[in-house]
Amino acid sequence: MRLVRLLALYTWRELLQTLAWRAFLFTLVANQVVSPLLGLAVWSAALPGDRQISEYYIALLAIQLMTVSYEHHTFANGIYAGALSQELLKPQPIVVGVIGTNIALRIWHLLIGLPLILATLWLAHASFDLRPVLVAAPAVVLAAALRFVWTYGLTLSAFWTQQAQGVVGFGETLIFLLGGAAAPIPLFPAALRPLGEALPFRSMLGFPAEIAVGILHRQQILMGYAWQLLWLVVGVLLTRALWKSGLRRFTAVGG
Amino acid sequence: MVRLLTLFCAGVSLSLRRLLAFRANLLFQLFTTVTSVIAGLAALAIVYARTETLGGWTLGESIVLLGTYQIMSGVLATFIEPNVQWFAGQVRSGQLDDILLKPVSSIFLVSLGSCAPLGLIAVALGFVVLGAGFGELGVAPDAWSTLSWLVTITTGVILTWASRVLLAIIALWAPALELDVVYNALWQFGRYPVTLYRQPFRFALTYVLPVAFIATIPARALIHGLPPLLLVVSSAIGAAAIGVVLAVWRAGLRRYTSATS
Repeated sequence: MRLVRLLALYTWRELLQTLAWRAFLFTLVANQVVSPLLGLAVWSAALPGDRQISEYYIALLAIQLMTVSYEHHTFANGIYAGALSQELLKPQPIVVGVIGTNIALRIWHLLIGLPLILATLWLAHASFDLRPVLVAAPAVVLAAALRFVWTYGLTLSAFWTQQAQGVVGFGETLIFLLGGAAAPIPLFPAALRPLGEALPFRSMLGFPAEIAVGILHRQQILMGYAWQLLWLVVGVLLTRALWKSGLRRFTAVGG
Repeated sequence: MVRLLTLFCAGVSLSLRRLLAFRANLLFQLFTTVTSVIAGLAALAIVYARTETLGGWTLGESIVLLGTYQIMSGVLATFIEPNVQWFAGQVRSGQLDDILLKPVSSIFLVSLGSCAPLGLIAVALGFVVLGAGFGELGVAPDAWSTLSWLVTITTGVILTWASRVLLAIIALWAPALELDVVYNALWQFGRYPVTLYRQPFRFALTYVLPVAFIATIPARALIHGLPPLLLVVSSAIGAAAIGVVLAVWRAGLRRYTSATS
């Protein structure tokens, strides 16, 4: 209970602090929306007249904004500069503050991106049914959690290398290619489709969009949720192990 | 002019030597660049498994375009970005004074004074992708197409330099504005032929923002060649862009009042 209140406080504090550099926030959002918009342009040209593909990419745009993670910028710098040592003295898990920052940034991304989402909806004459969107909602939450765990886990490489941002950048390339941004997984060549469905990247981005568009039947939806939960458990366990061994290496400044 | 060139080469050689001191970074950058190129090619392959042409471009042509885009991105990352990236900060802190006092053209030092040779990996890979594209097309570019490509890509480099520098020197008027990330976002749209985008975006990306010059126009030139008149127009656009940057730079410097005043 205490942790939940702390998390809420951290989120609220970060929401307000972010206001101080709101202009920069707009540029971050601009950068995040590019890949779904490019996907929308490419696939609308490749499959002209296909309404579902536009709807898929508009859903993907919203999900992208709700799952952004910047731990490689926010948290890695604390490790490099040694500021992490102050956090370590506080009587609470460090990850609470990281999650608070993450949620605050996501809320801002969604708010700023909302006009764009509505504009693309209107321009593409797209519409969503309420039921599939409701079924997709928990998947968005799981995707957001999984994306955070993925980025945070890769960011922990900062304990060992100076290249944490590059490592996370590599991870983002994987999400772009295999998560459903470069191409929706159902449009993958048949031989690659099972791989795309099993890897964790679809669970971070494409899966909720597929549900929202209504191209999955019940069996596939249940299977997708199972993959999401499985990868989340695996991710949390791995990240905890990484954090423990990384912390043992951490020597603050001058060590 | 010769002096500027010598200075430029000295800067490149210094950066190269500094780079070789950090070989692990070099390997890592090679790895990430290769993966992003492979990701780009794979994305194209998936799209073209579903369609014959994309905005009127075949698979081979799109690969040539991707290669050109890689080359241009590498040039941007190597020679332009490392210079102008922190320009707004230099204006705010007054460090720009340092540059203005040096006995060389200030716009040269601001925009081309140093470089980050790691980006050259992307340039080299871009040429590999170009080769792959022509392998897919089953033809080789003739002399005229190659000349057209050289002319248009030079214009592309100049326009990239000009637009990026103009964006940076807005800081002389509005120091709080940082638009680099937006520039990078727009840059991504150069990855595909501009014919892909709907009007009015296509118009904007061709004539207002020089996104078409990043890859679409040079790739078209390399595949089909361009009429001589267009090459002349392209060179004129490049020359005009340089003139605009110099004029805006002078106007901006008149506003600059250093940090303490």
